[in-house]
Amino acid sequence: MDTDALLLLLATLACVGGVVHAVLALRAGSWKNSRLHWLPLTLAFLLLTGFLYLRGQSNGRCPLTTMSEVLIFIGWCIVMMYLLVGPAFRLSLLGVFTSPLVAMLLVLAQVLPPSTSPRPERPIIALLELHAAVSLIAYAAFALACVTGVMYLLQERLLKKHQISGLFYQLPPINGLARAIQRLIWIGLLLLSVGLAISFALEIEVSNPKIIMAWIVWGLYALISLLMWRHVTSPRQTAWLAAAGFAIPFFSLWIVTHG
Amino acid sequence: MDRATAIIPPGSHLVCLGLNYRSTPVELRERLAFPEEQANIAAAKIHSLPGFKESLVLSTCNRVELYATHELADSPEGHEVLRRYLAEHFELADDHLEALVFYRLSNDEAARHLFRVVSGLDSMVLGETEIFGQVKAAYQRALAGATTGRTLNKLFQQAFTVGKRVRNDTTIQRGSTSVGSVAVDLAEKVFDLKQCRVMLVGAGEMSRTCAQSLLSRGAKSIIVSNRSYERAEELATEMGGRAMRFDEWEDALHEADVIISSTSAPHFVIKQDLIERVMRQRRWEPMLVIDIAVPRDVDPAVDKIEGVYLYDIDALQAIADDGRRERQRALSSCEQIIEEQLAKFGFTPTHTSPPPETGGATTEYSTT
Repeated sequence: MDTDALLLLLATLACVGGVVHAVLALRAGSWKNSRLHWLPLTLAFLLLTGFLYLRGQSNGRCPLTTMSEVLIFIGWCIVMMYLLVGPAFRLSLLGVFTSPLVAMLLVLAQVLPPSTSPRPERPIIALLELHAAVSLIAYAAFALACVTGVMYLLQERLLKKHQISGLFYQLPPINGLARAIQRLIWIGLLLLSVGLAISFALEIEVSNPKIIMAWIVWGLYALISLLMWRHVTSPRQTAWLAAAGFAIPFFSLWIVTHG
Repeated sequence: MDRATAIIPPGSHLVCLGLNYRSTPVELRERLAFPEEQANIAAAKIHSLPGFKESLVLSTCNRVELYATHELADSPEGHEVLRRYLAEHFELADDHLEALVFYRLSNDEAARHLFRVVSGLDSMVLGETEIFGQVKAAYQRALAGATTGRTLNKLFQQAFTVGKRVRNDTTIQRGSTSVGSVAVDLAEKVFDLKQCRVMLVGAGEMSRTCAQSLLSRGAKSIIVSNRSYERAEELATEMGGRAMRFDEWEDALHEADVIISSTSAPHFVIKQDLIERVMRQRRWEPMLVIDIAVPRDVDPAVDKIEGVYLYDIDALQAIADDGRRERQRALSSCEQIIEEQLAKFGFTPTHTSPPPETGGATTEYSTT
């Protein structure tokens, strides 16, 4: 097994191990806020960094050349964003909800059939690499907003249904979750705007499917931001939009990598 | 059961003489309570009694316990000296003294009892954590007063280790066991309590308890509105809040994050259309509504409004009952940890059944 494949496998196991441990701890009622909970995802982050470094070395460019690499890069971005956002909002349980998503992306990346059509050789354009990387980090922010949205909806349901036990005590206050969703969407929108601004400098055709898809995603999150800003949507509706809305950037990845 | 253990030297006895909320009613307990400054003087006095080597006085609203080591002939003699000391200190007549129900524990039993006390297993509210701090403070006072020595120092440090393990490794602290603490838990899961503004509509005793729980956990401010403005002012002053006339509270409702209602009105005071209007003013910021009144003050339809979380007295009570059951379920795990730790520290664990509650008429604990 190649070193990069081994790193990827270990990163996947770290994510799966983290989520299994968390679920067992939550079921047993022994989950406590602890720095140890950051360990599996921190480990996964380091392993994925190693993987991306090796793949970048062998590709001679940013490792975003195939659908698998894009998924892994997004997984890496999500973990990075979680490690930045989690401590700030004291959302250690966010890791429990983030790990399955990252694990799913990594498993998908490993089971996807390798690309059959060889990608055309093209010179390395630094701005293009930057455009892709920044845009995918934005997608990671949207992914984390989606995860936070799910947590909000879950906590909101427990509060409404008076189910005050177990998971209820571990989930953060819904007001804190609502603020985290807002900020993640704004961060994502800002990054995606930067990514699209770079695309102008690249003079990519406006009819390029990748650009059209990126604009659709930008439009969706700009609309959500506007609705949040004007208080048109309630925090619960915003959480739904953040959770369900991620389907569009997620499925747009296929177009982005195959377009 | 007099025998040397790892921390009790040969010829020495570890004893505990005490009474608590189970054995003694509050009218008697309050007579035997040691104020903080008196506890150390008492410990020093016991320390200076013939044959006594170490002493510590633990005095809380629910218990008075004297821990000591001595080199008298046997433990009962030590217990009797401590009992006589209490009688002398509090100037108790013989008939009063005879009426008091003390628990008299020695060596392993005394250690087990202390471990249970520190873990909150002997508390009125099972698993409460305040006792941990109270025992720690009592120990630190005794340490500063140089009335403890090798045995009590080791014993209390072990007790704190056990208390932490019980707290961390079991669910004994999980859940709320009173209406006040349920209100706090709910508020904490909706808001950052430090930013949380509370409004009392009606100034009943239970709403006062809930509000005080919220304030003690850091709630930002409180508004009290009551039909009797004087009563509202009195309560607001007591809690450091603001009083409001009863015909004004509806206009200020949007300022409150938590509403605790306990009026004696025979009809709904807080209705759906009012809360819908308030939620629009609040731009759908969430609101916790606690209805303690019977008959209820809040129209149940309010719960259907998005962002509003309504809990009436039955809902709060059901959650508190669940919390108490959860703690009861965790009890055997706690006892197991304590027995393991007793064995680890060289005491004799009990493998049969959990130790009896102090204060009851038991065969294992002699009472007077």
